[in-house]
Amino acid sequence: MRAFSYARPGTLDEAVALLEEFGSDARVLAGGTDLIIRLRDRTLTPRVVVDIKRIPELAPSIELIDRVLRISAGTTMTDVLGDVIVRRSFPALAEAASIIGSVQIRNRATLVGNQTNASPAADTAPTLLIYGAVLVLVGARGERRVALDDFFVRSGVTTLEPGELVTAIEIPMPSTAQGSAFTRRTRRRGHDLASVTLAASVGRDGSTRLAYGSLGPRPLVFSSVGGSEPPLEAWFADMRPSPTSMRASPEYRSAMLRVLANRALATARARLEAGA
Amino acid sequence: MSAAREPGPLIGKPVPRVGGEGRVTGAQQYVADIHLPDELHVKLVTLPVAHARIISIDPSAALAMPGVRCVFTAQDVVAVAGEMPRFGPQFSDRPVIAIGEAKYHGDPVAAVAAETRDAAEEAARLVHVEFEQLPAVFTIDGALATDAPLVQDPSLRPGDERAGTNVLREHDIAWGDVDSASADLIVENTYHFPMVTQFAIEPHAFIASPDGDGIAVWSSIQHPYWLQRILARVLRLPLAKVRVHAPDPGGAFGGKQHAKYEPLLAFMALALGRPMRLVLSLEETFVAVRRTETEVRVRTGIDRDGTFAFQDIDANYLIGAYADIADRVVGKGSYIGNGPYNWPSARINARSILSHTVPSTAFRGFGNPQINWAVESNLTEAALRLGIDPLELRLRNLANLGDRFVPFDTACDGQWAQSVRRVAELIGWDSPKPAGRGRGIALGIKSGPTTGLSYSLVRLLADGSALVYAGTSDMGQGARTIFAQMCASELDIPVEQVTVISGDTAVVPYDQQTSASRSTVLMGNAVVSASRQVREKLVAMAGGDSAADGVPTDELVRRALGRMGGEISAMGEARKEAEPDHPLGGSAAFFEFNATAVELSVDQETGDITIHRHATVSDVGRSMNRLQVTMQDEGAAIMGLGHTIMEHYIFDAEGRIRNLGAIDYRIPTSMDLPEEMLSDTVENADGPGPYGAKGMSEGALLPVAAAVAAALRDATGVVIRDLPLSPENVWRALQVQRTIPDRGAQ
Amino acid sequence: MQVSLTLNGRPRTFSVEEHHTLLDALRDDLGLTGAKECCLVGECGACTVRLNDRIVDSCLVLAVEADGGDIVTVEGLAPEPGRMSALQSAFLEKGAVQCGFCIPGQLLAGDDILRRFEHPTRHDIEEGIAGNLCRCACYYQIVEAVEAAAHGRAREEAQLVESAVVREMPPHVVDQ
Repeated sequence: MRAFSYARPGTLDEAVALLEEFGSDARVLAGGTDLIIRLRDRTLTPRVVVDIKRIPELAPSIELIDRVLRISAGTTMTDVLGDVIVRRSFPALAEAASIIGSVQIRNRATLVGNQTNASPAADTAPTLLIYGAVLVLVGARGERRVALDDFFVRSGVTTLEPGELVTAIEIPMPSTAQGSAFTRRTRRRGHDLASVTLAASVGRDGSTRLAYGSLGPRPLVFSSVGGSEPPLEAWFADMRPSPTSMRASPEYRSAMLRVLANRALATARARLEAGA
Repeated sequence: MSAAREPGPLIGKPVPRVGGEGRVTGAQQYVADIHLPDELHVKLVTLPVAHARIISIDPSAALAMPGVRCVFTAQDVVAVAGEMPRFGPQFSDRPVIAIGEAKYHGDPVAAVAAETRDAAEEAARLVHVEFEQLPAVFTIDGALATDAPLVQDPSLRPGDERAGTNVLREHDIAWGDVDSASADLIVENTYHFPMVTQFAIEPHAFIASPDGDGIAVWSSIQHPYWLQRILARVLRLPLAKVRVHAPDPGGAFGGKQHAKYEPLLAFMALALGRPMRLVLSLEETFVAVRRTETEVRVRTGIDRDGTFAFQDIDANYLIGAYADIADRVVGKGSYIGNGPYNWPSARINARSILSHTVPSTAFRGFGNPQINWAVESNLTEAALRLGIDPLELRLRNLANLGDRFVPFDTACDGQWAQSVRRVAELIGWDSPKPAGRGRGIALGIKSGPTTGLSYSLVRLLADGSALVYAGTSDMGQGARTIFAQMCASELDIPVEQVTVISGDTAVVPYDQQTSASRSTVLMGNAVVSASRQVREKLVAMAGGDSAADGVPTDELVRRALGRMGGEISAMGEARKEAEPDHPLGGSAAFFEFNATAVELSVDQETGDITIHRHATVSDVGRSMNRLQVTMQDEGAAIMGLGHTIMEHYIFDAEGRIRNLGAIDYRIPTSMDLPEEMLSDTVENADGPGPYGAKGMSEGALLPVAAAVAAALRDATGVVIRDLPLSPENVWRALQVQRTIPDRGAQ
Repeated sequence: MQVSLTLNGRPRTFSVEEHHTLLDALRDDLGLTGAKECCLVGECGACTVRLNDRIVDSCLVLAVEADGGDIVTVEGLAPEPGRMSALQSAFLEKGAVQCGFCIPGQLLAGDDILRRFEHPTRHDIEEGIAGNLCRCACYYQIVEAVEAAAHGRAREEAQLVESAVVREMPPHVVDQ
């Protein structure tokens, strides 16, 4: 890979200052499982790589504060899938985190990083979307919050502004009983990039939320209130599977979206019943 | 050649692998772990197209980088050699480095040498090549089209009537009379086997260094002596001045058999007077080696009662831009394409077809898996249409011991029906099938080596320990272990007292090659011969048979050598002579025979196949080391599942490979295994190797695809004739079946 | 940049290029070639090492990120020079080692499984080594080796418990 400078700020302010100064010539390094690959194949050629893992506020942590589960930027997939609250209240997130890559990858890949890369196939994105996750961003102008649904623009592009970094993800605890599930389609059982990712939740109040990814430039989320069947076909109509993808053809993806949606909704309903 | 003597207690025992400790402590040195003082790092420069005319190469920007010592191109080789040397195991068609033309996506056109890997990598990007993209052929149809661009310069094949086409060679064998043969049922289909790559976990690695008045080369090569010969010729050096070090390869599977970039590195090393080191990236191995792709049309004639009538096979094998050993793959693979059965009439026409793609080379199975996929699948279909159990149909026509099932070759050398019945037993062929499940069976056969020459030197030392010199490449199959077992058994010493030395042409006597599962038989026989000669000398020196009877070997050695000490040594030779009139140059030393059966179910909504049980039985004559035999067979089976379910190169419209590397080329992981794997062997001591051994390690891969496809058909009715049986491909076949209910339900 | 870390129990300080990976540093600067180069994209696991108590693909970690860290490679798995760990022995006994190239990574993954699970199931092991490709495909044997090492440990612990009981005997009782 092309040489770069490595910076290891010890405070959030230092990190923000570096990002302000270098703009698009800087890249944040957390887990590295995506960044290092892109540095090696030169799809990214930053002048500075900013390692945020020594910043105390960003150290791995999962905390419940005022009915909001706050997951810091340094928290890895291994941390997430093992957390008791995640497993109990956000099982789709635990499921997604547990099938990303391998143990080696999960020990480094961060939940926040899986969002900031804005890969349409990011496994955890659909789950965070159905749970209504919010990102906490910090920049020179201070802190702001952005709903995850407003964060993704398209592949590789988010609404993160220059000089900003994500410090945490906040997931509101469910206000009503719900059941949720995650599923995806891959080419083999071993770890793989998905050709369809999907998360669904059903609430005791009859509401349904469904999100899918890897079917267009960004993951999409849909919701319906209780009292009627969710308009799945209308939701699926927004998919834009890539015609040139090596992983799966558009016809297969389209068919699998429907299969996975049915399965995830069935599992979600079963979990709702079981939890009742 | 065979040994009727009973094996000693060590033979067949799962003795721990020799050389194992180094592999579990990290001490084992593979080529990429070796560094020479003053070495330069080499990076290859390639073009982003499948076929191009090289107009000019401007190295100036690269040379201006600090640490860069040279940018080597064709003109540098020609400056030294006078003309571009060409090499190859079958045809001398491959230039040391591309000259005038790059013939496939990944064909190196320049090589940068620099003080550091970083500098070499950066500089390689700065080498400016002006080129003109040329039309490329990278499919069978494209290569055979009448106006297809020629891959190989016709002047390389003077007098060859095919020189004006992309067909390199035709291989035709026939017996009986196919055209006038009749049969109650004729089944004709075409089957496709895609390009796949060996994907050894160790990428190829090479080091070349000036060595006195000669050259020393380190390579992950399977055939060190063959490489030595090529280097000697290309460099115009005596063999004695070319030393090849061959550390154990980290997996090879055929992809490391033949010279690739060693000649180039050797020229560079001699030109600059410094060691040159090249370690390929995984992506670079994908463009260095692969299996031949095939399209096989099979027309099978069988009578109503299940008696085989005729087999008419036409096989097109797509090889790469340089022949490597691929034409031999075609010849040898197609030759026995009919399978292990008695066919009254047969005709097999096979051809090797050049293309602007990665040079295909040897790969476990050597041309047999591709034709097996077609022929066994066709037999399964015939069985279904005749209403005869597919197992029964095969058993009814299976060759028996002594049958000349290929009329002018070695007769059937095993009780193959035993393997077939055993696999049926393991899979529970006659037991009721759980709902939704399908079962399939297929048989595989491959010819062992047709010629061979192995020498082994055994030295019994003064304390009763021994050294065995054996040039076989131990690439994971455990060759070193079994040679230690054989020597220890013959000399009656503990196996821990034997050291096996290999991998250095200057020290270890000649071994033709490590391939075709030959080493147990050929080198094994040489080791046994040498060991027995040593034993005879020892006994004679120690006072004769009666004096030696019951005396431990170390004591005998003391008596034999006396106070001066010393050693007792002997050389063993195992030779299988060429038969010049034979279509393959020689008859098979033995056959590898395997029976595979699979039970699976299919998720009809997604196309996912779940293999519940995979049974594989190989006819091995005698296991030298039962544990290693199991490991090889199960490993071969899983590798077969790879090309059956998930592996294939993906090309773009211009012949460039899209899925280089590990992310989009999938091989089986620990999560992709059959739920249950049952392997067994049939051992009747009927092989030509030590104690009745045959070779093994390829058999269990051969029929995997056909067995899985047969089980898939049994479970769902779908027929797929193009690999891989990926979830999407299975889903598509199911979709077609749903819209056209009669299709595939024959 | 200067990096200080603990490597197989020993403190090491060395200078490294900022864009070099931990794998590069181990193999080129620290003289440990046990961790291997293969895919370099975190798919094959041949480069697996333990970093701060968790296994990682060292090809995806910059050497400078490991500053201050605690690293264990295959060379550090033996309890002492000349002896092998129970897991290493089990690998050899169970025939889990063919060409050996993936084995350092498999051993680190296997060792990690033994640390995370007291009684790993077959599924736990298959998942735990899912990030380690083996083309020789000795997966079944590798799984058996990890299982065997786990059972061996369970037996060992049972024995330790027994002798602890003996030690609690009153001092005047003499061993026969």
